Amino acid sequence: MGVLSFLARRLLGMIPIVIGASLIVFIVGHLAPGDPVQILFGDISDPIIEARARASLGLDKPLAVQYLGFLARLAHLDLGTSYAYPGMRIGKMIGAALPVSLALAAMAVLVAVVLGVPLGAVAALRRHSLLDRLVRFITVLGIAVPFFVIAVVLVLVFSLRLRWLPVSGWGTPKDLVLPIVIQMLRPMAYLARITRLSVLQVLGEDYIRTARAKGLPTRLVTFRHALRNAAITILTTAGLTLSLAFTGAFVTETIFGIPGMGRATVTAIFQRDYPMIQAVVLVYTGLILTLNLIMDLAYAAVDPRIRYA
Amino acid sequence: MWWARRDPPTAIAAAVLVLLVCGSLAIPAVSPYSYGGQNLEQTFRAPGPTHWLGTDHLGRDILVRVAYGARISFLISVLAVAAHTVIGIVVGMASGFLGGWVDGGLMRMTDVFLVFPPLLFLILITGLLGPSLVNIIIALSAVGWAGMARQVRAEALLLREREFVTAARASGATDRWILGRHVFINIVTLALVRASLDIGPVILSEATLSFLGIGIQPPTPSWGVMIADGFTHLRTYPYLTAIPSAVLSIAIVAVTFVGEGIAEARDPRWRRR
Repeated sequence: MGVLSFLARRLLGMIPIVIGASLIVFIVGHLAPGDPVQILFGDISDPIIEARARASLGLDKPLAVQYLGFLARLAHLDLGTSYAYPGMRIGKMIGAALPVSLALAAMAVLVAVVLGVPLGAVAALRRHSLLDRLVRFITVLGIAVPFFVIAVVLVLVFSLRLRWLPVSGWGTPKDLVLPIVIQMLRPMAYLARITRLSVLQVLGEDYIRTARAKGLPTRLVTFRHALRNAAITILTTAGLTLSLAFTGAFVTETIFGIPGMGRATVTAIFQRDYPMIQAVVLVYTGLILTLNLIMDLAYAAVDPRIRYA
Repeated sequence: MWWARRDPPTAIAAAVLVLLVCGSLAIPAVSPYSYGGQNLEQTFRAPGPTHWLGTDHLGRDILVRVAYGARISFLISVLAVAAHTVIGIVVGMASGFLGGWVDGGLMRMTDVFLVFPPLLFLILITGLLGPSLVNIIIALSAVGWAGMARQVRAEALLLREREFVTAARASGATDRWILGRHVFINIVTLALVRASLDIGPVILSEATLSFLGIGIQPPTPSWGVMIADGFTHLRTYPYLTAIPSAVLSIAIVAVTFVGEGIAEARDPRWRRR
């Protein structure tokens, strides 16, 4: 089974998920209270003008027709115009917001991998040491303490008391520090935890004992056998944490006023900007699906036991 | 108490949790203040003898509000987790035992729900349906059921092949007896273990929604709302944010430890996940 046919089948398998997601979004958006015509044009007393406004948005057609039209436009990558900012193309708004969030999430996960994986590995190799206990404590805190609480503490200490970093804003490198630190904490906690557990599990395997019994130096056993075999679990978690970082963006971007997808989503919800909401959800769905696909391909690259099946 | 000696962290966490629940029930009942009662002459009072945890920007007693927030938090999380556990058991068992197109259809549905990042889904549902208590619970259980259904299905498939089921069948038990007596009990146990682990994340999700302004609406106090309210006064009155943040974190850590303790007591393999 080649890589190409694996890819083709996975891509085909994604179609029902994308359609399902778009259908859910479409239905939820239209069952919701709140009338987009009223939001766009205010209260219209003249029924003829109101009907015209409705027709201009295509809201007078049956739901099924509206959905098909939505899908047809989607196929042309046409995401429509914003209700909240008339004249603004949704595609343009997404185009401006997406790179910001992607960059932020990528940097956060990168830092999390660089810090979390070694921490977890060392904790596993020196089991029951002080460092191991410290790592376990930090990971429990990182997973259990809400990140907006961590954000509050960090803003209080570093922005308000010490005045080292800005409270909010976007543009200078200093603005990046707190959002990245906050978005990286949970991924780091998960990564350290999973790395520790999977290295511990691998260290219990027979082939490690065999390698040791053969008289292989500890360094070789650790790097060639233990860490390499733990890599697949770590990789899965790294992929998962990327979507964790996307989700964290809703809070961090709102707190720090970062013009990314997270803030765009929350704003669109508040404004009942249907086309924007639909677009945002589809973009996120696409992102996650692509991420899953890349992870699947990466497993096979890391672990020769896995075939493209 | 033998289990407290065997697993002290869980015992401590359980004690903290009991304390929180009792406090949330007792404090609003005993306190002379109400959660919404404003006193504009007594705003921003630091913690002291009249207001043990101080007052907020409208002169409302923070202790009562935190306790009331705990009620909201526990109520929502327990109801939401109960709802998604029941849905998950029903869907998972239907999928695992009926198989065929029912299984295929239901699992494709869980695919769609599992692809969405949970918070995005929550923001969507509560944001669009309107942030009422019921809608928040609906949203939270809509997010949780798919994972539960997947796990119940996997367990059902495993159980079908287990020796004690074969033994029961061999000794002449009917399908109904096997399902009700052997399979259902095992599945419910597994589902309850998972449910105890789900409560922490659900409390966190509710707080996050309320923090963003699409969860519990003022004047009803919720930890998330209180943290967001206090955020505006972070420079001058940090305790407004610090108190609900601390209580929220303590609650989630306690619930997480208790959940993991239960999971480990049921099945030591759980810790590895």
